[in-house]
Amino acid sequence: MKKYTKITPEGTKDFLFAESSAMDDVCGKIEKVFKTRCFKKVITPAIEFYDVFALPCSGIEQEAMFKTVDNKGRLLVVRPDSTLPIARMVSSRLKNSLMPVRLYYKQAVYRNHPTLTGRTSENMQMGVELLGVKGIRADLEVITTAVCAISAVANDFRIELGHAEVFDALSDNLDIDADYKEKIRVSIEGKNYSALNNLLDKLTPCKAVSAIRSLPSLFGGEEVFEKARAVCEGTKAIEALEYLHKIYNNLVPLGLGDKLIVDLGLVQRNDYYTGIVFSGYISGIGDAVISGGRYDDLLGEFDLPASAAGFAIDTDAVTLKRLSDNSVSYSDNPDVLVYAHDGKEMDAIHTVTQLNEQGVKAQFSVLPTLEETKAFAAERGIAEVKEV
Amino acid sequence: MKPIRIALTKGRLEKSTVELFEKIGYNCDAIKNKGRKLILPVGDNDFEVVLAKAADVITYVEHGVCELGVVGKDTILENGTSFYELLDLGFGKCRFALAVKKGTDFYGGYNTKTIATKYPNVTRAFFDDKNMDVRIIKIEGSVELAPLVGLADGIVDIVETGSTLKANGLEVIETVTDISARLIANTASLKLRKQEIEALQKKLEAVTQ
Repeated sequence: MKKYTKITPEGTKDFLFAESSAMDDVCGKIEKVFKTRCFKKVITPAIEFYDVFALPCSGIEQEAMFKTVDNKGRLLVVRPDSTLPIARMVSSRLKNSLMPVRLYYKQAVYRNHPTLTGRTSENMQMGVELLGVKGIRADLEVITTAVCAISAVANDFRIELGHAEVFDALSDNLDIDADYKEKIRVSIEGKNYSALNNLLDKLTPCKAVSAIRSLPSLFGGEEVFEKARAVCEGTKAIEALEYLHKIYNNLVPLGLGDKLIVDLGLVQRNDYYTGIVFSGYISGIGDAVISGGRYDDLLGEFDLPASAAGFAIDTDAVTLKRLSDNSVSYSDNPDVLVYAHDGKEMDAIHTVTQLNEQGVKAQFSVLPTLEETKAFAAERGIAEVKEV
Repeated sequence: MKPIRIALTKGRLEKSTVELFEKIGYNCDAIKNKGRKLILPVGDNDFEVVLAKAADVITYVEHGVCELGVVGKDTILENGTSFYELLDLGFGKCRFALAVKKGTDFYGGYNTKTIATKYPNVTRAFFDDKNMDVRIIKIEGSVELAPLVGLADGIVDIVETGSTLKANGLEVIETVTDISARLIANTASLKLRKQEIEALQKKLEAVTQ
């Protein structure tokens, strides 16, 4: 039988030296933002019961989850997402606490992707969840936290805003079943104009149909609101649109300029999000690095009717980008290698401590002879060997 | 900033795309006389073109190393996951169809049917929609052979004129879906380089309508 003792499973990898140091750096900067804004850290288990993720609104396909069973034969999954476990935790352990609850996490999520696509199965994510309160203040807090976090680790980024209610309000007016609505949603999500037109041509023309037809093209700067208002006038979507505009106007003073965009075709995971939705992109990474929004119905699935909003950042993607930009400096060489003559080992270790306290990067040589120590220093390019 | 990079499906779609680019005023000499080069400038370095096999076009676009791609809907249906499908370019028209030996009643009887195809995902989705369990066998070469030699009850394949089917005594009994070339865009790229991509999309839209 072939033994796989020298490689890691597809989609996973080891992080060595510069990579892990860059990752710590990215996570540290984001963590500082979260802590400064008074979010408190939680850790949930890496394995959970399958039921937590099998909710109808979870939006996670069962093919994408790594599964196993516990000793009673109950189905477990390796956490594919952190929001659902946090919703589970809040609705049980924090259900009597004073709302709002402000939480952040830094933990990997695991997704089983089709093979050979170059996607990772293990992804480090950091995110916040603001639970127990709804309204514009909570939404602004979550969005601005996301902006601060991404600004801390990337220069060229875009934050795009949408609202789940725009599509929901428009499609509720139509006489279609859930499957057909989902087909329409998928074609808007993919900005697939031809598929969307085919689907909509089969429906009776009305205000809502023509509004939905234009959703994927309604993205860009503030001008989007005017165009959207014209097509959504007289439909229920107008309320969500006005709310989104209010959010947008509130964010203008941040001076994001072109970095802030509106996309009314942002209908990802619409069964999960109920209010504002947003994504973040950075140049050089082909996928969204931030995704978040308001999910007022999720906690209800865990029997705690409460509002919530949050987002997650894919810190692996950000790290990758910083490494490819060479924007991380990394050196693991000490300035001094300290060699102890026989019997002087503890003195030398003490010297290393003293040097390090003085700010000199010193390392105790664990090699048995002075010759080997010198040879090692020469090979590694360590400037000085100190004898004790 | 780097020029926009477009992944083109080599072969027939490549020719039609070049014609389209020329129609909107871009000089495509570099593509026409490409030799062995794989990355080629278009116009006055307005954008560059990468030539790739159909499925790879999707891979390059999904990973964001190419901002745009030109690829057949057949490849998108078989391999696609997440990107924007911006435009139906109107060329490369054909269809996915279910074909069987002439005169056979494919849907008759209670036995589970066997389908030979180069496109297992498309086939699976088509029969899933009908709530039908089928056995799918992936064939790499001439799929038409499978029902003739008794390996399969039918095939799902791309049909243009239908002459190959006819010559082998097969007939189309159902269209799975129509196919044509599409302009696709990476999700992040469309947000990060909106103006440039939209400008090109508008130009292409004007000549394909």
